[in-house]
Amino acid sequence: MKAKSDYKKADIWLAFWLIIPTLIAIGITAFYPLGQTIYDSFFKWSLRPGFQREFVGFQNYINLFQDARFLNSLWNTIYFTFFSVLIEFLLGLVTALILNAEFRLRGLVRAAVLIPWAIPTAVSSQMWKWMYNDQYGVISLMLYNLGIIEQGTPILGTPGLAMAGIIAVDVWKTTPFVALLLLAGLQIIPNELYEAARIDGASMWKQFTSITLPVLRPTIGVTLIFRTLDALRVFDVVYIMTQGSVGTETLAVYNRSLLMDNIFSPRGLFGYGSALSVVIFLIIGIFTVIYMRSLNIKLD
Amino acid sequence: MKKFVVLFALFTMVMSLFSITITMTAGAVGKELEVLNEQVAMFMEEYPEIEVRVLPMPNSATDRHDLYVTYLASGTPDPDVLMLDVIWPAEFAPFLVDLTNDYDYFELDKFFPGTVASNTVEGQLVAVPWFTDAGILYYRKDLLEKYGYEVPETWDDLYTAAKDISEMEGINGFVWQGARYEGLTCNVMEFFHSFGGEIMKDGKVVVDDPKYYENNIAAITFMDKLIEDGVSPRGVTTYMEEEGRRVFQNGDAVFMRNWPYAWSLANSPESPVAGKVGITVLPKGPGPDGRNSATLGGWNLGINANSSPAEIEASKKLIKFLTSHEQQVYKAVNAGQTPTMIEAYNDPRTIEANDFYADLLDVFLNAEPRPISPIYNEISYQIQTAVHQVLTQQKDPKQAIDELARNLKSLE
Repeated sequence: MKAKSDYKKADIWLAFWLIIPTLIAIGITAFYPLGQTIYDSFFKWSLRPGFQREFVGFQNYINLFQDARFLNSLWNTIYFTFFSVLIEFLLGLVTALILNAEFRLRGLVRAAVLIPWAIPTAVSSQMWKWMYNDQYGVISLMLYNLGIIEQGTPILGTPGLAMAGIIAVDVWKTTPFVALLLLAGLQIIPNELYEAARIDGASMWKQFTSITLPVLRPTIGVTLIFRTLDALRVFDVVYIMTQGSVGTETLAVYNRSLLMDNIFSPRGLFGYGSALSVVIFLIIGIFTVIYMRSLNIKLD
Repeated sequence: MKKFVVLFALFTMVMSLFSITITMTAGAVGKELEVLNEQVAMFMEEYPEIEVRVLPMPNSATDRHDLYVTYLASGTPDPDVLMLDVIWPAEFAPFLVDLTNDYDYFELDKFFPGTVASNTVEGQLVAVPWFTDAGILYYRKDLLEKYGYEVPETWDDLYTAAKDISEMEGINGFVWQGARYEGLTCNVMEFFHSFGGEIMKDGKVVVDDPKYYENNIAAITFMDKLIEDGVSPRGVTTYMEEEGRRVFQNGDAVFMRNWPYAWSLANSPESPVAGKVGITVLPKGPGPDGRNSATLGGWNLGINANSSPAEIEASKKLIKFLTSHEQQVYKAVNAGQTPTMIEAYNDPRTIEANDFYADLLDVFLNAEPRPISPIYNEISYQIQTAVHQVLTQQKDPKQAIDELARNLKSLE
């Protein structure tokens, strides 16, 4: 913070008034629902008419951590996040380095790579679900021919395999996005740096670790935050392909079930669902802070 | 000119004082929506003072449920007439108009008693049955004949025929709905009931009651055996209605458990098995407790309690019209949707269009409802999960039944 501002007082007031509408909009759309959810999470209640709201303190949170379904979905979410982000990052980096090189029709290839990312997740999930079909699915056939699975194995109905199948869809869909972000970071590295390194006799690997990676670090940080936050709240691909069966239920899928399927339940699960929403929010918040700290990213 | 416009505006204003607009939600599977639009046009001709707007919904029942949750929780007065799945009335009852006093108005004595019962919550009638559904067995007439098999009467008959024919033809034996979703609960009910088992009775959990315990385990073991022995493809653990129907309609299965809607599709001109398909009741389980059982499905019409009194009156007229004998026959003939009024099955027009109805009247009459409870969703989730874990080799049948009993009791 600078002690003395260069701006005139009138300018500061103008800026203040200009920013007010934005703050109000954010307040209504982000902070009010968040506050309401946190408030609801301390009650046992449902939207069923005549249901008596009952204050239960932290009971919902205590119950949550004794709920096997919650613990399973927490583990599934972390598993999904770890593997999908890791694979997407590595593949995306390789793709970005390739796309950064000079070759013919580079513009066309760059655009073509983005196609999976442009398809709505609901559509691609359904598409992959058909490709995973045990009898008519093309991927099932390929895996069978390669000797990886037995004939007639339902990929999305086999514990373990189902989650791998879902991660594959996410990787297919999101690698282009990661590649695009990293490519943008690569393009700001001046070519002179590499030329100088070559003159000094640095190997390709040395150039990569000493020039590319350090300069790319902020971009990598932003990319990982984006992807991790997205992966932690993964919903559509899991819900469409398996409805969360055979060990694929994630936190968001469980949350939907609590808040939509059981919203009018006389057992008062709305507060419980709100508590789960708050926990998801906290988990995502913690991850963000860890990333920002470890990668030294500043938001201003 | 100006005068004319003013006059016209005045005229529409006066007319709107006497006319009323109501909205109704509707499905759009197959020819459903098209036929409903024709019916609504007929209704508006008969009642010119009422205007009906039809609002199509998503195909999946779960998505429809989400949609209704949003409508009802927000307290909006629209839509007025709600198309409700047979398992929803208990959950949505507080949001629906009490129709108990209109019992005679809708002539509910003429309906299948089971369909009326499924709309009665704590003695209150909250919706009127519109069309019904029940699980039935589809089989390949040509293949049974070719290998000299009778239409199966027991699950063991089906097992033998399916295993034998599927091995010789190199196709699947028996496809059903085994994905973990509401459809699995329907299938589970049929297996359990036909083996003489039971999950809930009069609102009490009886899944581990000595009277039913062994039969429940036998039923779930049999389901697992179908998959283990290759009679059903391992993929049934991911199948919903349409996945199984595609396999069967492609000529790749000997038997299929499905709802009546698949009949007209399996026999459509582009279907490879057209004319080769037979239809019958689902088989009996073994032993003295074995019986034929079909799970009751179907859709009902209820009225949004937030609608104005005038809209509620108009909605009642629309529901009476749509559930009348004449319109049920029209729907059966044109959309293939199964009537809820018993007399509609004796109508020559129905018989001519759907000759298999007569054989199945008994099935529809005796279709068994799923548990009626305001927490039905949680009950069904527990049932689906327990059985699906057995089918995907994560638990053994006894373990699954014991756990199901514990989980269901913790909901009580």
